[in-house]
Amino acid sequence: MWAWIRSLYTMESDMAHNETYYVMMMDALDGELTAVQRTELESHLRACPECAREWEALAALDTLFRQAPLLSPAADFAERTIGLLPNRRTRVWALTAVYTALLISGVIPVILGVWLISRYTPVLTNPDLLQHVWSSMQGTAQVFATVIDALLAGAGRVVAEQPMILGLAMLMAGMVFLWGGVIQRLVVQPRSAGSRN
Amino acid sequence: MNEEQVWLEQARQGDKFAFGKLIEAYQAPVYNLAYRMLSNAGEAEEAAQEAFIRAWTRLDSYDPAHKFSTWLLSITSNYCIDQIRKRRAVLLSIDEPLPPHPALHSDNHQGPEAQAIAHEQSDLVQTMLNQLSSEYREAVVLRYWYDMSYEEIADVQQTTVSAVKSRLFRARRQLAEVSQGSEAMPALALGLAT
Repeated sequence: MWAWIRSLYTMESDMAHNETYYVMMMDALDGELTAVQRTELESHLRACPECAREWEALAALDTLFRQAPLLSPAADFAERTIGLLPNRRTRVWALTAVYTALLISGVIPVILGVWLISRYTPVLTNPDLLQHVWSSMQGTAQVFATVIDALLAGAGRVVAEQPMILGLAMLMAGMVFLWGGVIQRLVVQPRSAGSRN
Repeated sequence: MNEEQVWLEQARQGDKFAFGKLIEAYQAPVYNLAYRMLSNAGEAEEAAQEAFIRAWTRLDSYDPAHKFSTWLLSITSNYCIDQIRKRRAVLLSIDEPLPPHPALHSDNHQGPEAQAIAHEQSDLVQTMLNQLSSEYREAVVLRYWYDMSYEEIADVQQTTVSAVKSRLFRARRQLAEVSQGSEAMPALALGLAT
């Protein structure tokens, strides 16, 4: 038991040790190590073959990437790109026109609304008119309530008297769902996979 | 006021010729970043053109307190990352062999053997870069090809210095793992050293 705990502790300290020196190696590549740290890393690399291997791999990578060339575009790239540049003044004018149109399209409805309210407020606030509007709204609501009540009562009676109908409807819904899934797998998905190729 | 600042000032006033000077000065770094990110010469050229057009149309938002190159590379890398995300939805495999950059075939100063090694090295670099996520790849490219500091990379990637360190750390670790599994890597690295 004690040996097992000790091996776990050793493994953990080994990982921490590797991590510390790995960070130092990264800093060394970026020229961020102090002279003292560099000496410490160098002496560690001489003593630890595992870290020395890591360092070798990192240093080889560093060399490979540092020596990779800076690629240039085709010779006429600048000329072609200048030809693609939009006219800045035209763009500024276009943007100004768009913003002005947006502003006007926002302001006009507000002005129109204010004018309509001031014009029709006396008419719309007439008590007789309000009374009639209110009673017609009540009438409409009553009609809707009666229709919905009748529909629900009818549906309830059908379910109570003919439960087979409900069962059949549920079965049909299940079949539609099942076949929908089968069609999705067999027809729709292979076609979309084929179109990517 | 240096030459670049003069060109910038003239470009802000709508002078395309002055902006053309900036394009000539920065076409290689912008194109190289786009190529290293996208691994395709045609797409890289389109991305570089788009980056310059965006820079031109947004010149008014450029803050002269920052380096122009950093701002321009930031536009380029953002565009490339968008392209990679769009492409990811279309591509089935990232392991498809990509065509090498034409410039890599036009080096007449080297002998055939040296050219072959250079091509292999360049292919290897690009293949390894392709293994990284776009954020890690961007950090590695900015560090190695542009020699940017952590702060400058953080500026381009719009993140913190510690995030940049962490990205570089993980990217290098990932690259080292890939390279240790590659048989070609040690020989090519040795070829570079000699």
